[in-house]
Amino acid sequence: MANRTIPRLLQTPAVLLLLFWMLVPLSMTLFFSFIRYVLNNLRRPEWTSPSIDNWRGFGNYEYVWNQDAFWLAIQNSLLIVCSILFLTVALGIAVAVLINRSFPGRGMVRVLLISPFFVMPAVNAVLWINMLLDPVLGLQGIAVDAINTTIAGLKDAPLVGWFFSLWPQFEPISFRATQTSAYAVIMMVTWQWTPFAILIFMTSLQSEDQQQKEAAVLDGAGAWSQFRFLTLPHLGRPIAIVVMIQAIFHLSLYAEIEIVSRGNGNKNLPYYIGELVNNNIGAASATGIFAVILANIVAIFLLRMIGKTLME
Amino acid sequence: MGRIVLENVTKSFGETEVIPPLNLTIEDGEFAVFVGPSGCGKSTLLRLIAGLEDCTSGAIKIDGNDVTKVPPSKRGLAMVFQSYALYPHMTVRKNIAFPLRMAGMDQSDIDARVDQAAKVLNLDAYLDRKPGQLSGGQRQRVAIGRAIVREPAAFLFDEPLSNLDAALRVGMRMEISELHNKLETTMIYVTHDQVEAMTMANKIVVLQAGVIEQVGSPLELYRTPRNKFVAGFIGSPKMNFIEGDAAQKLGAHSVGIRPEHIDVVEANGQWQGTVGVAEHLGSDTFFHIHNTGLAETLTVRAIGDISLTHGDTIHLNPRADEMHRFGADGLRIA
Repeated sequence: MANRTIPRLLQTPAVLLLLFWMLVPLSMTLFFSFIRYVLNNLRRPEWTSPSIDNWRGFGNYEYVWNQDAFWLAIQNSLLIVCSILFLTVALGIAVAVLINRSFPGRGMVRVLLISPFFVMPAVNAVLWINMLLDPVLGLQGIAVDAINTTIAGLKDAPLVGWFFSLWPQFEPISFRATQTSAYAVIMMVTWQWTPFAILIFMTSLQSEDQQQKEAAVLDGAGAWSQFRFLTLPHLGRPIAIVVMIQAIFHLSLYAEIEIVSRGNGNKNLPYYIGELVNNNIGAASATGIFAVILANIVAIFLLRMIGKTLME
Repeated sequence: MGRIVLENVTKSFGETEVIPPLNLTIEDGEFAVFVGPSGCGKSTLLRLIAGLEDCTSGAIKIDGNDVTKVPPSKRGLAMVFQSYALYPHMTVRKNIAFPLRMAGMDQSDIDARVDQAAKVLNLDAYLDRKPGQLSGGQRQRVAIGRAIVREPAAFLFDEPLSNLDAALRVGMRMEISELHNKLETTMIYVTHDQVEAMTMANKIVVLQAGVIEQVGSPLELYRTPRNKFVAGFIGSPKMNFIEGDAAQKLGAHSVGIRPEHIDVVEANGQWQGTVGVAEHLGSDTFFHIHNTGLAETLTVRAIGDISLTHGDTIHLNPRADEMHRFGADGLRIA
């Protein structure tokens, strides 16, 4: 018995700390979600302090459930997370396979490929929205402008002029607008997180059995078949890891959304919660519990899907 | 059909020449074993034949067709790897079916061939398992199954038994030999274990540093090794070599005699020495003998159990007609 007691005693502080860390915020959120709790209300000042007397039952949940903005936020969260997951995994596999062969300067290329991951999210968002995507001053504005100027110049050229006079004037896209701000977020986060996927896939590709590939060559498998039947299944587990970790991170995106459009037409769940927190803590807590449930559903769903398609 | 001819084949990795010009013919239906110490180029040679490495110069012909520039999958050869190289996420059935699937064969034909191969190799019960759930010997059989379904012109084995334990190795050795008798297809088998070479081959190719030292049937190599290297490599325990003055007396630069060709006698032997280590196996006894004045140690195999132990004096009579004489260049003197 003593053999087991001592290790358990030694583990206790860490376990208690973790429990405390997890349980306290979760139970506070749960508690707040069942009471009326607002930061400012002149008519009902008693609601401004958290108390069991202000019990509201499922009222907060019902209130949030009936908000259109809540459903838009969920929809937007899913759109952003799923797009980023798909793009990072696809790009990550493509780049990792590409740089898995030896070529001069490979070490340098690898370092450069990883570097976006070290940029702070807020800085990343500012760089993208102002320097790259801005319709006037950003790279996008300059590029569209240059293309338009070139086409305008070619319209008077002999022989090919008629062809270019058919072309329309291109309009730069404003990525701060309601309809497009989600795409801006998807782009910048994909840029930042593809290196993470590359890193994981690259290490996994290094451990791929070369004799299996040689056997496949002798069995008549071409490059695509080798990729489809050997490399992709070999990457099944790393893909699951990348998807799971990224799903957790991207469900809580905040900085990018704030910087791109201040949530204009592009609120995800955390941003929606953040807005509710300005006054209605009870409703924000209820949304938080919804977010926890959603995150679990997404995680289970994604893992099942990946497990089935890739493990054959 | 599978007659494989190598003509002046060479292979260099950068500056280092691994295989100097080499000529070799393997007849259809033959079981050829490439044997030699590690790093002698035998695996490289096999990979050249398979097409996994490109020849630096020279030509490889299969049934008269020059395949030197033909990609591996079009050469009609099947290879079994040392690590089995099974596809870990596919079932045994899918593993065996993979080459047929790549060839675009009908599903019904694939099933028929896979079932047939599974029957030959006793894998029927394991078809729906994954390689991770099989033992080493079973994995080896799956790898062989994947090779035989293709009905190749020749099988290439790259040290296929070296990952198995000793008992299993003996069993698989028999199975591969039986498979060869059944299929009558050319097989090329690479190993560093001369016992595998002796027991399985029709033709042994002894290699050292990329050079063929001798080609011949197992008993040819045993009886008339062309040089000291082959003499020392073939046969277990190794041949004894007597050098220097003692050899001069016997009329050669060095003289080799196999442990089984020295008889232990009661007294008045032609040679005598002190027993160092005696290994009593019951059926045989191996003596490692010192102080003979011939060589540092002399190994002798005596049939039956002879009750001499460490420190005893032993009397020996070599069989004069079984001695191998070699010149200063290491070559056999007829």
